[in-house]
Amino acid sequence: MIAAARYELVMMLRRRSMWIVNGAIVLLLVLISVGQLRDVFHDRDAQLAMARAAFLIQLVLPIGYGCLLADRLIRDARLGVAPLLDATPAPAAGRLAGKYLGVCAAAAVPLAVVYFGFAALYAATAGRPVALAWAAAAFAVVIAPAVLFVGAFALAVPLVVPAPLFRVLFVGYWFWGNLISPAAMPTTAQSVLEPVGGYPIQELLGWHGDGAFNPAGPVPGASLNFLRPVASPATAWLSIAVLLAVAVLVLAGAQAFRARTTR
Amino acid sequence: MRPRPLPLWRHEIRRAGWTALLTPPLVVGTVVVVAALNVGEAGDLTTARALFAALEMAAPLAAGIGAASLIGRDPVTELLATMPTGYRSILLRRLGVTVGWTALVAVLLAGSLLATGWWARWPYNHGAVIGQLTWIAPTLGLAALGFLAGAVLRGPAAAGGLVGAFWIFQQIFAGPAQEQRWSRLLYLFVTTRGAVPADWTANRLTLIGTAGVLGVLAWLLLGRTERLLRAVAE
Repeated sequence: MIAAARYELVMMLRRRSMWIVNGAIVLLLVLISVGQLRDVFHDRDAQLAMARAAFLIQLVLPIGYGCLLADRLIRDARLGVAPLLDATPAPAAGRLAGKYLGVCAAAAVPLAVVYFGFAALYAATAGRPVALAWAAAAFAVVIAPAVLFVGAFALAVPLVVPAPLFRVLFVGYWFWGNLISPAAMPTTAQSVLEPVGGYPIQELLGWHGDGAFNPAGPVPGASLNFLRPVASPATAWLSIAVLLAVAVLVLAGAQAFRARTTR
Repeated sequence: MRPRPLPLWRHEIRRAGWTALLTPPLVVGTVVVVAALNVGEAGDLTTARALFAALEMAAPLAAGIGAASLIGRDPVTELLATMPTGYRSILLRRLGVTVGWTALVAVLLAGSLLATGWWARWPYNHGAVIGQLTWIAPTLGLAALGFLAGAVLRGPAAAGGLVGAFWIFQQIFAGPAQEQRWSRLLYLFVTTRGAVPADWTANRLTLIGTAGVLGVLAWLLLGRTERLLRAVAE
């Protein structure tokens, strides 16, 4: 498992297109949301500044790595190496887990570069080195669970539907499941199932949104409010646990599917 | 001897596979079904906006990621590059299949909306004929962006990611995009989320013009076939 993880990590990090895509998205993010980034920089509260920056990153960057990871598992079959790998003594479940952890780690590296780079810039300009500690906390409870959640689907779903179709559906899902107001239509936005991480951002990092917008909790009159318990630190941890549990279930499903199709 | 056009196009449609054929109706259909399920709770205006969103948002996304997925999927690019017909002509035909099929799905939906009266219920519909630019302009724009991204990055994963990110950016930052004229002219969803109706025609024509420029750039780039031999196979 460790060897597979290390190999996938190195292979992804050497993939030039991964850095180009992430770089282009970050450049667009900076150009378009320059006003919001200025507000974050002027926020004297390091904890809130890091929470807001994490939220901004979570809105867009998962699209890049979600699409990039979609070819990682099916690639073995396309290149014809899957039967060779299956013939090795390494257990299939361990290889899948290694591949999953490796590609997720690789997806997290550009995010870490961007996010901790921003945190270091903020810490230096605002004279608040504690921002780096808050950035580490935000990375652990907001960004990392999202990477593990998206990574599981990006590896598994292309086994069942073709990768281009997965990408279209994933982009549509990201908009529907994270960005649409629950008052407008049934959605998983602002629920414990939201990979953007509204609950941990609000309850563990303390950012309660701008104006009338709250990242988490029940929305009056909205459907699916049973997925939006009253926001508290406990429900924030519950949200993280739910995302990780769904990721494990999806991976288990992928393993079962592969075992059935390669039998 | 020149190849006969009909078998050639039939071959390209088969080569596109059921992914390319399934994606546009599935994505557009999903938005229509969600709008239909919500029709009791939402008012006519909200439902009409959702149906127009299927045309202006869903169809272009399918075409854009479809176009981004054309390069890097041929196992024998070397062989195709030796054919009398250039490889970029083959890719252009596949782009035609991808965009054409999406256009057919969009025309069927637009026709259904016109026939059922839902077209008229959206106040910014711009009529039955000119109003078709609702889906034509963003579909061409995103498809050209995807095709160029595919030509530059030589892999469906990265190119699809860029198209998806661009689409999401336009959704998230709809407000800031309305503040400047240049960003309003390049905004994809001006029929359903635009703030300045007077800019509508200029926006549609700008998007079509931009699609032309991006398409020409992709065409020029694809002329360097040796770059494609190192494409990232998916």
